Amino acid sequence: MKKYILKRLGTGALVVLFSVLFNFVIIRLAPGDPTRLLAGKDNPNPQMIATLQEKYGLNKPILTQFGMYIKQLLHGDFGYSYVSSSKVWDLIRVRIAPTLMIAFTGAILALFIGTLLGIYAARRKGTKIDVFLCGISYLFDSTPSFWLGLMMILVFAAVLKWFPTSGMYNLRGGYKGAKHVLDVMKHMFLPVTTLTLIDIPYYFRIARSSVLQTMSEDFIMTLRATGMSESRIFNKYVMRNAIIPTITVFGITLAYMITGVAMIEIVFAWPGMGRLMLDSITKRDYPTLSAIYLLLSISVAVMMIVVDLVYAWVDPRIRVE
Amino acid sequence: MPKDVSKKKNSKLKKTFATVRGNTQLMLGLIFLLVLLAIAFFGPMVAPFNPKVLNDDLLAPPGDLYRLGTDNLGRDVFSQVLYGAKTSLEIGFTAAMISAVIGVIFGGIAGFYGGIADRILNEIMNIFLMLPTFFLILLIIATFGSSMFNVMVVIGLTSWVGNARLMRAQAKAIRERTFIKSSIAMGESRFSILIRHVLPNGIFPIIANTTMNISGAILTEAGLSFLGLGDPNVVSWGQVISNGKGYLPKAWWITTFPGIMTIFTVLTFFLIGEGLNRVLSPKMDANK
Repeated sequence: MKKYILKRLGTGALVVLFSVLFNFVIIRLAPGDPTRLLAGKDNPNPQMIATLQEKYGLNKPILTQFGMYIKQLLHGDFGYSYVSSSKVWDLIRVRIAPTLMIAFTGAILALFIGTLLGIYAARRKGTKIDVFLCGISYLFDSTPSFWLGLMMILVFAAVLKWFPTSGMYNLRGGYKGAKHVLDVMKHMFLPVTTLTLIDIPYYFRIARSSVLQTMSEDFIMTLRATGMSESRIFNKYVMRNAIIPTITVFGITLAYMITGVAMIEIVFAWPGMGRLMLDSITKRDYPTLSAIYLLLSISVAVMMIVVDLVYAWVDPRIRVE
Repeated sequence: MPKDVSKKKNSKLKKTFATVRGNTQLMLGLIFLLVLLAIAFFGPMVAPFNPKVLNDDLLAPPGDLYRLGTDNLGRDVFSQVLYGAKTSLEIGFTAAMISAVIGVIFGGIAGFYGGIADRILNEIMNIFLMLPTFFLILLIIATFGSSMFNVMVVIGLTSWVGNARLMRAQAKAIRERTFIKSSIAMGESRFSILIRHVLPNGIFPIIANTTMNISGAILTEAGLSFLGLGDPNVVSWGQVISNGKGYLPKAWWITTFPGIMTIFTVLTFFLIGEGLNRVLSPKMDANK
């Protein structure tokens, strides 16, 4: 087990290192010279350029620059945004909570609804309802999340006017306390529903196929031969074995949840990381963009390792291998 | 003698047909694919307008002249939808092919040679598996420009891990088979065995997975275009959806129709991939 943990941690460290390296290389290779931009586009002064290069260490050997970059990152310094000239970290910090709010709610709802539907379909394998649910799951799997979000706005916000079209709360409302919470929940409804609908097919398919697989195993046959009732076999033996893959998928989804939610945030103008990402793309704000990417890579690596370790702890077969 | 051969071929063909017929996903997928290919090939010929021409009617609702309406600049949405099919298919196919080639080479070498090559390649695969791919693609495209070439290559270069893992497992299993061992005993070079026996015998799961990758690449491209990172010189569904976003309640047709086409296309390759997987592992069929 110890060896397994060390191995996973090693891979995780490599992932982070690779991400940092990619980031450094991409930004260094980016077209356009930042010092030239800062020195003035039309009539750049060579001396000014030299001073700027000296200031930002751009005249040093590439390896030294990479070392400087890593040192900066280790101090939690992601640099300054090109656009707002505030610290990148300050921009990101305030966006984390709103993103996690939607992402978590959506992931948990999808986990429950998808798993329950999957188990339901597996127990009615081959019936009309099973075929119908499978078909729907294919359909939602093929749907781009941003398009589904737009359709949600069209139907439920624009035509039916049940929910607000965008944002996190009513800016003109000035609500306080419970009313504010209610207002935010109202604004959350459509983005969370979109995310849930997009994620349900994963859990549905995993739950369905793992239940079916467990039911076809020999020990279930043996249990049947002992005369145990079908529902007892199912609740006591099938469920326990079938739920493990679902846990893994949930962990992986959590790792990638910020990626998944970004597009939906953009559609609903939700003030989270996805929105920040879009702004930095349109304004070509590379430091912010690369900081978001780095944070994401690190959080994905950490989550994946946690999932692996939990999985190895739950299922001894993994760690032996 | 020739008669015999043709008969044999015929029965093989019949068998293939029977497999396809018995496999709902595969059959539906192939029918959809035919429709898609027809749209991509004949679409530009039957399109009533040039998709880039700015007509005088802005935001015209669907009607006799503009079958699916026009967008904010007066471009005909029906023509845009028809032209977009080619873009989507091109990006999907090319990106998936790049990822298949890289995956087969890396996976084949890792699984067949084993040892230190396997350990290094496997670690690289583990690392790539953990990278948030969509954001990496986004960062690269945002930095280096969003030509169609860049989009295809970057998607291909970041999505090969699944193929490599499949190929590695296949090569590992095939390596132990008798006909490989006898080839080695007969003095055939390792590399030639890898190319002539291992790859052709292990390729089938890669084909199924590559079909799924086409779906993934099309979705990724749609996402990039929606974020404004598509190639501005081609007509793509993601871009049309993105254009229509700002005119949503009123001019619903701009976003709705290209979205439906995207779903249809992604679903097509998804169904074919699932169908092929089912042909591949009859055990799954029993589970179905």
